[in-house]
Amino acid sequence: MTNKNPKSKIRNLLLPWLDAIAITAWGVLMLRYWLTNKLNLLIHPNYIWFVVLTGISLIIIGFLKMQELWQRRRRDVTSNSPHISLFPPGWGSALLLTTAILGFIITPQVFASDKALQRGVTADLLGSTRVKPQAFRATVRPEERSLVDWVRTVNVYPEPDTYTGQKVKVQGFVIHPADLGKEYLFLARFVLTCCAADAYPVGLPVKLQDNQERYSADSWLEVEGQMVTENLAGKRQLTIAATSFKKIPQPENPYSY
Amino acid sequence: MNQLNNGFTLFLSLLVEAMPFLLLGVLLSSLLLFFVDERKLVEKMPKNPLLGALVGSMIGFLFPVCECGNVPVARRFLIQGVPTPVAIGFLLGAPTINPVVIWSTWTAFRDQPEIVVLRVVFSLAIATIIGYVFSFQKDLNPIVQPAIARYMKFNPPAPPETKRRGKPYQEQEAMVPNILQSGTYILGGKAGIPLRIDANFVPPTSNSTSNKPLADKLRLVVDNSIQEFRELGGIMVIGSAIAAAIQILAPRELILSLGAGPITSIVVMLILAVVVSICSTVDSFFALSFASTFSSGSLLAFLVFGPMIDIKGIGLMLSIFKPKTVFYLFALAAQLTFVFTLFLNLHVL
Repeated sequence: MTNKNPKSKIRNLLLPWLDAIAITAWGVLMLRYWLTNKLNLLIHPNYIWFVVLTGISLIIIGFLKMQELWQRRRRDVTSNSPHISLFPPGWGSALLLTTAILGFIITPQVFASDKALQRGVTADLLGSTRVKPQAFRATVRPEERSLVDWVRTVNVYPEPDTYTGQKVKVQGFVIHPADLGKEYLFLARFVLTCCAADAYPVGLPVKLQDNQERYSADSWLEVEGQMVTENLAGKRQLTIAATSFKKIPQPENPYSY
Repeated sequence: MNQLNNGFTLFLSLLVEAMPFLLLGVLLSSLLLFFVDERKLVEKMPKNPLLGALVGSMIGFLFPVCECGNVPVARRFLIQGVPTPVAIGFLLGAPTINPVVIWSTWTAFRDQPEIVVLRVVFSLAIATIIGYVFSFQKDLNPIVQPAIARYMKFNPPAPPETKRRGKPYQEQEAMVPNILQSGTYILGGKAGIPLRIDANFVPPTSNSTSNKPLADKLRLVVDNSIQEFRELGGIMVIGSAIAAAIQILAPRELILSLGAGPITSIVVMLILAVVVSICSTVDSFFALSFASTFSSGSLLAFLVFGPMIDIKGIGLMLSIFKPKTVFYLFALAAQLTFVFTLFLNLHVL
C-alpha cells in the first residue's frame, strides 16, 4: 500500500522511528527505576528481575529497529504494513512514549495515610482477611515481631486477651482514622502482593498516654509498649499501650510483603 | 494533588508490572507464528465436535497469543478446513488458556490461587460449550463473512502440498473486502507487496517464509513483535489509566456497594470487560486493582469474559463472522460467564 501523497510518505518515514523510540524509552525508564531503587515502590521484589530483563530487551529491540531504519533510510520505504488496529497509525506508540516521558518527569510516590484511609483501614480496623500467615514462627519472641507479623498472628488466633502483656516493638506510619478517639493513633504499613495497585494497609491501634505527643499523620514511628485489649468502635481489639515513641525516617523500602 | 500522584503511581505500577508479560506474550506469539507449522497441527485436529472444541480451546498452550493474535489464527484455521468447534474453541479459549496468561494471573493473585484455577476451568468450559454448540451448524455459509465463504467455496481445504498461492488466488484477492486485508502477521515493514498478498490467507510458515534465511525470519519476528507491542501497549496504557482513575475518582461508597453485591458486582465487571479492551496477558493486573472491593466471582467474570469478547475483539471478529454470529458468541459467552460466576458468588465464596 505505497502511498503517493507526500504527507503520508512522511508519516511512513516517521512512524517506524516513533515505534523504536517509544520502545527504547520504556526500556530506559524501567532500568532507571531499577537503578534509582524506585521499583520497590511499584512492584513486589520478586518481579524486579523480570522488569530489568524486560527493560534490557526493550532497549535491544528498539536499537535493532533503529539500526534497521537507519540502514534503509535512503531506500524507498515500503509502507508500514496494515495490521489489525484499533487506533490510527502511530497512536499506540505515541501513547507509550507519552507515558514513558511522564514516568521520567513524575516520581512515583510512597502511599501514605490518605491512601490507607481510602483503602479502608476503618472498614475493618484490624482483621484484614487478606493477610494470610506465610510461615508459623511460634518461637519468635513477641518483641521481635514486625507490625505485619503481629497482624498475621492475630488473624490466625484472633482472641486479643491471648496477647495481653506481651512486649511489642514495631515500626510503621501514623494514620488518624475518624472513628478512633483522640487518645489513639493507628500504626500501619502497606502490604504488597504484586504491585502498588494492590497495596493494602494493615496495622494496629496504639493507645497514647496523657503526656505523650500527638504525632501527625504519615510520620514514621518506632513504638514500644505492651499489648492490651481495648474496646474500639464497638469491637474488642488488640491494642498497643505505648510506653515509648521514637521518630524514625521513612524506611528505604516502606512496603511489607 | 496528592490524589493525582497516588493515581499516577498506581497507573505506573500497573504498567511496569504488566509490560514484561506483554513483551513475553508478544515475543512468543511472534516466534511461534513463524516457526510452528500450523498445517501439521491442523491435520491432527479431532473430528468429534466435543473433543474438537476441547482440544481447540487448549491449542493456546502451543500458540500463546492474546486476543488480538488469536483472531487471525482462528481465521486461518477455518479457511484451512479445521472443524468449526475447534476454531471457535480456539478463538474463545486461547487468549486465556496459555502459559503466559496463567503465569501473569498467578503473579497477580498469588494469595488467591482459586482465582487462577477457576479462571482456567471456567474459560475452558465456556469455550468448549460454545464450540460444541457451533458444531451443529454444519454449513458455514450463513455464519461467516461472504468473502471467507467464497474463498472456501473456490478453494476447498486441500492437502497442504497443493495449497499454493498463484493466479487464481490473486484474482480472489480483489473480492476480499478491505478489513480482511489487515490482520496478518507477516507484513513486517520490509515484506513488501508480494508477501503481503500472499500472507493474507496462507500461513506464514508456508513457502513464503520457510525458505528465508534465519536472519530475515528473526527480523520479521522483531517487526511483528513491535507492531503487536505498540498496539496492545497502547490499549494497556488506556486500560491502566481507567483502572487508576476509577480507584481514585469514583466515590468509595459507590464502589463498595457495587462491588459487594453478588449480582451488581458481576454485571459491572462484565461491562468493564467489554469496555476495557485490555490484553489478556495483563488483564489480571487490572482486575487486581479491584480485588479489595469486588467479589471474587465478579473478578473472575472479568477475567473469563474479557479475553473472549471486548470492543476491540468485536471489530476483529467481524472480519471472520457475520454480525449475527458475533452477537450469538457474545450473548452465549456473557450468559455462561454470568451463570458460572453467580453460582460461585452465591454458593461457594
